Amino acid sequence: MKFLRRLLRRIYNSMDRRRHDERLEAEIEEHIALETEQNLRAGLLPAEARRRAMLKFGPAEAIKESYHAERRMLFIETLLQDLRYAFRMLAKSPGFSIVAVLTLALGIGANAAIFSVVNAVLLEPLPYSNPGRLVNLADARPTTAITGAGISWPVFMELRDHSRVFSTMAGLAGHALTLTGQGEPADVSTIAVTPDFFTVFGRQPLLGRALLPEDGVRDAAPVVVLSENLWRSRFGANPQIAGSAITLDQRAYTVIGVMPAGFHTPFFNKTDQVWIPLVQDPLFGKWQTRPPQAHWMPVIARLQPSVSQQEARSELLTISAALARRFPEENGWLLGIEPLKNVLVGDVRSPLLLLLCAVGLVLLIACANIANLLLARATTRAKEIGIRIALGANNRRIARQLLTEGAILGLLGGAAGIALAWFSVSILAPFLPPELRQLHPIRVDGFVFSFALALSLAAGLVSGLAPVLYAARSSPQANLREGRGAGEARGSQRARNSLAVTEVALAVVLLVGAGLLMRSFSRLLSVDPGFETQNMVKADVSLPRFQYSTPQQWSAFANELMTRLQARPGLQDSAIAAPLPILDTAVVLPFAIAGNPPLPQGASDTADYVAASPQYFHVMGISVIRGRLFNLDDTLASPPVAVISETLARRYFPHQDPLGRQLVFGFPPQNNISRQIVGVVADMHDVSLAADPGPMMYVPFAQAPFWGGEVVVKSSLGVAAVADAIRTETRSIDKNLPITEIETLPGALHESVAGARFRTLLLEVFGGIALSLAAIGIYGVISFSVSRRSREIGVRMALGATHSSVQRLVIWESTKLLFVGLAIGIPAALALMHFLSALLFGVAPTDPLTFAAVALLLTFVTLAAAYLPARRAMLVDPIVALRCE
Amino acid sequence: MNRKPDVQQGTLALMVLKTLDVLGPLHGWGIARRIEQISGDLLAVNQGTLYPLLLKLEHEGSIASDWGASQNNRRARFYRLTRNGRKRLQDETHEWNQTAAIIERFFEIKAEDFA
Repeated sequence: MKFLRRLLRRIYNSMDRRRHDERLEAEIEEHIALETEQNLRAGLLPAEARRRAMLKFGPAEAIKESYHAERRMLFIETLLQDLRYAFRMLAKSPGFSIVAVLTLALGIGANAAIFSVVNAVLLEPLPYSNPGRLVNLADARPTTAITGAGISWPVFMELRDHSRVFSTMAGLAGHALTLTGQGEPADVSTIAVTPDFFTVFGRQPLLGRALLPEDGVRDAAPVVVLSENLWRSRFGANPQIAGSAITLDQRAYTVIGVMPAGFHTPFFNKTDQVWIPLVQDPLFGKWQTRPPQAHWMPVIARLQPSVSQQEARSELLTISAALARRFPEENGWLLGIEPLKNVLVGDVRSPLLLLLCAVGLVLLIACANIANLLLARATTRAKEIGIRIALGANNRRIARQLLTEGAILGLLGGAAGIALAWFSVSILAPFLPPELRQLHPIRVDGFVFSFALALSLAAGLVSGLAPVLYAARSSPQANLREGRGAGEARGSQRARNSLAVTEVALAVVLLVGAGLLMRSFSRLLSVDPGFETQNMVKADVSLPRFQYSTPQQWSAFANELMTRLQARPGLQDSAIAAPLPILDTAVVLPFAIAGNPPLPQGASDTADYVAASPQYFHVMGISVIRGRLFNLDDTLASPPVAVISETLARRYFPHQDPLGRQLVFGFPPQNNISRQIVGVVADMHDVSLAADPGPMMYVPFAQAPFWGGEVVVKSSLGVAAVADAIRTETRSIDKNLPITEIETLPGALHESVAGARFRTLLLEVFGGIALSLAAIGIYGVISFSVSRRSREIGVRMALGATHSSVQRLVIWESTKLLFVGLAIGIPAALALMHFLSALLFGVAPTDPLTFAAVALLLTFVTLAAAYLPARRAMLVDPIVALRCE
Repeated sequence: MNRKPDVQQGTLALMVLKTLDVLGPLHGWGIARRIEQISGDLLAVNQGTLYPLLLKLEHEGSIASDWGASQNNRRARFYRLTRNGRKRLQDETHEWNQTAAIIERFFEIKAEDFA
């Protein structure tokens, strides 16, 4: 109660400050008058009487201060006063303020930008209802290190209808179908789903209805759900769209609904999507008849509310055992679940956390820099602070003032940094690698904003702490006596030195990390993919499967297109194949060698499968090592043949001649075709530049055609001309065929390392910032020390020191900082870099070259940073330096 | 900075209250003088520190103040004890006596008392 009452009075008092000041003045005056009178009565002279009265009263100003303290809402008033004062101090030295604010802005901006990505990708829940219960159901076979395989149709049906641990589940499979009748023919990302798909995610359509169980029945009418993006871009956002028909792969589907733009299918990045019932899909619809051995369908399920993941896992193991009894060939396969979020962001988590750590280091360096600047300033302000203490400010008050200045700097830097982050995120977001863009839009939202704000406040306070620690130790008398220019407390110099050392050490860690990633990235780019890329253009051609339904039609189309393209001048080197190495997902199929003893139950050898036209090897520059390549006589009518890669030959035909042997494999459903090996070709990187070449098996496109493929052309005519030719020739065969993803091979390869490029680039930028901040830090320390020691230098020169010895003195001072920084930073980097090893390619985390380069770079930068101050020290005029005291 | 220990601050407040209780309304100098006379040198220097304390007591409602005329006929602020303040004085006197009694007993303890 007492407290409340005082508080209310204080609020009231703060409104009429003047009256209370007058009251105290009057009281003091009266007090002293009365005391003086009494002293007069005691026989003192008037002047002495008054002097004694005043002495006895005590320091009037301090008493007024504590009277005010009692009277007012002290906290807020002091804060306002501190703020006013802080702003005045910052405005008084604009150079310092601008450097400090910009430094912090860089640090905070980088942190906010990276955090906005981390937030969108790692922290935000998946944009589905109750996303924590969503799991990805996958098959694995530990004996052959296969993980994350799909679920076969019979097993899916079994689980869906009889499992007690899942409330709903849906299978999905996606590819591109051709949308015609709406302007240019276009490929749209089509997700074929089982009817419960939208129920699993708990999302309602924007318009119309989602899929119903009856849509999934075999004889149901074909229906389609559109994505909002497609609905807006292709159908003019027509609100009456439901009920009308669209044509996909030359077949009519009735539109039943539109899903809101915020809904994305996991695993599929394109925003223009349509969803159709799996039974209606021209390809996957037929796959429902495939046996339990075909692990093809990704499945997403929702756990029952009361079931834990652990329970679900053990239930699935029981089911796996039961399945293995029913289908002996399924022995060794285990069903498992993984939270959907882990599956979606698992690959990007560690690179993102790495980037977050890197920007954290940048911010620490920035803070050390600002702490250094503030310390230097506190030293020059020692006299001012001394005066304030002498006038009655206590240590806490001074500390608060200094911290307020730090906080103001932090917030100003934070504001600039948030603006920087907002700007850079909105510019850079479209260029992020696709795996970072799939779920939530990346932007500086309220959470990122609060994070950045808190961070900048913390950064400001931490930076402001250094001068507080120093100022708290200094004695006002000494400061007043010495003023500026004289020797300062050793503690402050040591504090500044250790901050500079910290900066160097942190910069070492960051630069080594950036250097390793850079080296590893350039190693990656210099990998010879094993095939030609110069002057190569590729284009994706896809045939609608209702119109082109038979392998004969696919093969005829490919032949026709190749004949027409090769007839054009400059396009002789054209081929068609599927899939292309690295750029397309590899098709990995099991194979058996005729004549070898059968493998144990459940085990099989696998290799990459490629269907290629005869020209393919020549166009791609893949050299033949033994035997022959394909020719135009290899057709559906002739005996099946195959060409294998060197690795396959070496690994599976050790000390044997593979030529003439029979290999049994094929693209489902023709998976048991026996083919004679007629040739062996050189290896190539099939999966990625980073992965070693795997075993590969080629079949003639004519003997195992696809419903389309990748056209590859080697031509000096340029992309535009080649693209034009491919388009013209395709359209002249069928004007409703879409041509997509026309790219040069170097460009496409470039794209395939986008993730590595992204993090390397960012780390280079952060390393650059760290380097410049460390340079500024060392420059600041040395240059400040030179100006503080100008008298000492003057004395040295008066006593006969030469210019160069003075210069050496200064350079030596900075070299010491550098050495200590390196001595701390290099072991720290050695200890930390093994966290990076998963992201490195062809470079050891302890790569001596990188460490040496970083040490050299920092030495160079340190010397450069010390050069200017050293020059200034050299030019000190002893007479001026000595006289200025 | 001249900081008095808390116990002295508390004592000073109690002295102010007791002075006003015994002598009736007084101005600041009057209070300071009485305390000086009774307590010796507690207020011999820094009489001024009394004023923030008076304001605090006033905010807490223990005392009230009005303008009046001093003995030399000048405007002076006179402080008087409120009902609240009288109650507080009683409470604190009681507490003080208790504390003093405990401390006194403590000081009288000899080693053989524990034998």
